[in-house]
Amino acid sequence: MKLLTITTLRHHLHLSPLSPSFPWFGMDIGGTLVKLVYFEPKDITAEEEQEEVENLKSIRRYLTSNTAYGKTGIRDVHLQLQDLTLCGRTGNLHFIRFPTHDLPAFLQMGRNKHFSSLHTTLCATGGGAYKFESDFRTMADLQLHKLDELDCLIRGVLYIDSVVSSGPSECYYFENPTEPDRCVQKPYTLENPYPLLLVNIGSGVSILAVYSENNYKRVTGTSLGGGTFLGLCCLLTGCSTFEEALEMASLGESTRVDKLVRDIYGGDYERFGLPGWAVASSFGNMMSKEKRESVSKEDLARATLVTITNNIGSITRMCALNENIERVVFVGNFLRVNTLSMKLLAYAMDYWSKGQLKALFLRHEGYFGAVGALLELLHPS
Amino acid sequence: MAFNGHQRDDDTVDEDETPTKQPRSNKEMPGYFRSEPGSEAAAPAGRATPDRRSSNATARHRSDSVKKTRPPFPWFGMDIGGTLVKLVYFEPKDITAEEEQEEVENLKSIRRYLTSNTAYGKTGIRDVHLQLQDLTLCGRTGNLHFIRFPTHDLPAFLQMGRNKHFSSLHTTLCATGGGAYKFESDFRTMADLQLHKLDELDCLIRGVLYIDSVVSSGPSECYYFENPTEPDRCVQKPYTLENPYPLLLVNIGSGVSILAVYSENNYKRVTGTSLGGGTFLGLCCLLTGCSTFEEALEMASLGESTRVDKLVRDIYGGDYERFGLPGWAVASSFGNMMSKEKRESVSKEDLARATLVTITNNIGSITRMCALNENIERVVFVGNFLRVNTLSMKLLAYAMDYWSKGQLKALFLRHEGYFGAVGALLELLHPS
Repeated sequence: MKLLTITTLRHHLHLSPLSPSFPWFGMDIGGTLVKLVYFEPKDITAEEEQEEVENLKSIRRYLTSNTAYGKTGIRDVHLQLQDLTLCGRTGNLHFIRFPTHDLPAFLQMGRNKHFSSLHTTLCATGGGAYKFESDFRTMADLQLHKLDELDCLIRGVLYIDSVVSSGPSECYYFENPTEPDRCVQKPYTLENPYPLLLVNIGSGVSILAVYSENNYKRVTGTSLGGGTFLGLCCLLTGCSTFEEALEMASLGESTRVDKLVRDIYGGDYERFGLPGWAVASSFGNMMSKEKRESVSKEDLARATLVTITNNIGSITRMCALNENIERVVFVGNFLRVNTLSMKLLAYAMDYWSKGQLKALFLRHEGYFGAVGALLELLHPS
Repeated sequence: MAFNGHQRDDDTVDEDETPTKQPRSNKEMPGYFRSEPGSEAAAPAGRATPDRRSSNATARHRSDSVKKTRPPFPWFGMDIGGTLVKLVYFEPKDITAEEEQEEVENLKSIRRYLTSNTAYGKTGIRDVHLQLQDLTLCGRTGNLHFIRFPTHDLPAFLQMGRNKHFSSLHTTLCATGGGAYKFESDFRTMADLQLHKLDELDCLIRGVLYIDSVVSSGPSECYYFENPTEPDRCVQKPYTLENPYPLLLVNIGSGVSILAVYSENNYKRVTGTSLGGGTFLGLCCLLTGCSTFEEALEMASLGESTRVDKLVRDIYGGDYERFGLPGWAVASSFGNMMSKEKRESVSKEDLARATLVTITNNIGSITRMCALNENIERVVFVGNFLRVNTLSMKLLAYAMDYWSKGQLKALFLRHEGYFGAVGALLELLHPS
């Protein structure tokens, strides 16, 4: 009560508030998806509610009473964080996503709801914050506060991991990744996280070496990412969504499509420790017309997933080796509902490093950039 | 070339392979790769030239004394890879009338068949432009021929070997590549031939070092691209690979192996990637309906990959300056293909181009990381993915130069995918 009175007083005196005015959003406009985090205050007093302008109320109601928006917007309810305290306020953190392709519709909605009249700062990161900056202005009269995607990513990861205290652990790994029958998800405590290798698998991939909260470098990246998986799958199988592609992949057999070491050697290539089941040439069997005609779309989807995932794993391992880092955290929406890739990565890290490297995963996968953007709004660095 | 073993008429050199003044090496290598006592650095002068031009009968007669250490003809080296079989064949040109008389019919027939044709069956090809003339190997002078055919057609090759009674010649057939292991029993049962199996990477390195040392006339074996970042001024230039160590050797076949070579006998396989030439061809066949490597390359040369790939500028609207990523860099390969609209607007040529660019740049990226980690500045790319594939070579040259800010140099060798087979031949002639 006391805090609110001071806030109201400060507001009446036209002093800058201790916290920015609602609504509180963090946005990450990526190559494929827009990730939006929204803080829903649950400690609104009667007084505050009275003063609340209509469109702000309407926005809050719209976002929290729906789990789907338009044709393609989705709120990941299972990721919702309850009773979070941010900047002295208590409430829920919501995680929403929609295809970047539908950003115009989002801007139109912002215009219709007179979002700009709320005079809030909209903190946005990702390439789209730069690419669509002028569209935000012209279409919705909104000024973006642009932030670097990797700064936000790291900030978001460190924050979320620290506040998740109840419910499922934010960080987890796979135990026995090399034994499919015994492979289980286990919680992991990411205390003393440094140094850490952070692999962000979005449309493309960035690999960061994180030495401390404020000290990191982008080691490298690869353009063979989630966008490649989806793009190739659409071309090879005729599917049109990420979920369809994953479904097909789960039913296929990549070994019909790939040329394995045993296909070339008749067994292992012992001299250099390459087991017969290792892939020697991805899609290598597809140069044969006969084999092309004998594989299914599911096999092709599986091979695409395995190829992209293993390539990321291989590059990651090289980085971990060079940077002398043993823990690798994989994030990004390529891993959303994609246990297949996560297990492959866990397996690859473990197997090829002879147990030296550990693959870790985070539940909020692709939302960390948006969280970091929200944090910048609340606690400007 | 700094070193030219053939043109020296140095009387101190013996007729047989053992130079008098230097320690005998197990591998018959030109002197400057050998470490001589009291001489750490490779010195151009005073090197032994064990394989040396010799065309007079007297020299031939003296060399008969080492005939016993020479294997009988025919001399082959074979590399049975995941996609192609590479065969090198030494055609002696110094056959005396006496020798010709004694020569068995099937050996003569094999020699004639191989040297009078440039195509064999439906898929065998002899790369005449790679032929090495007047080479001296093991005291004999002749031409070295380079032949290839799809591994898929190995049964036909074995059948031919059987028909020509190759096994009756009792020669050792030195073979490397995975197929030497996979098809060992087929060689025995189908053609009654015993293979002497060799490791493909040992042979690769041996072959590279040898060929580079003996190519003395005609185009330089090793070359690079000058101004790789300027398409209009980008030209092929010869390169002298002396003091080659340390070297990063990237072998792009069906798959890729990356080796760090510290000296003739000291190398390690740093890593590999399964996204290689087989991936390019396999994906192209699926995406465009083509069926051969040459078709895939032709299509790629006509396409535009930027319609297929999602570039940094497609995501950022320009450069991603903070981390030095220019707008034209690919952020997500094939990333535009998740859009139905864009899928319908690209051509097969665009898809072929994107596949080539994706595979090539991935290899380039991984190579750069290895070069950085191993602290090696020179990278040699070999393997048949680069055969008639200037597009990929230039991309690699560009990538190495650009992303390393000029620190790394991409080098190429004319005999591309044949080094394993050459190494196998050398093992036949000079067993290690």
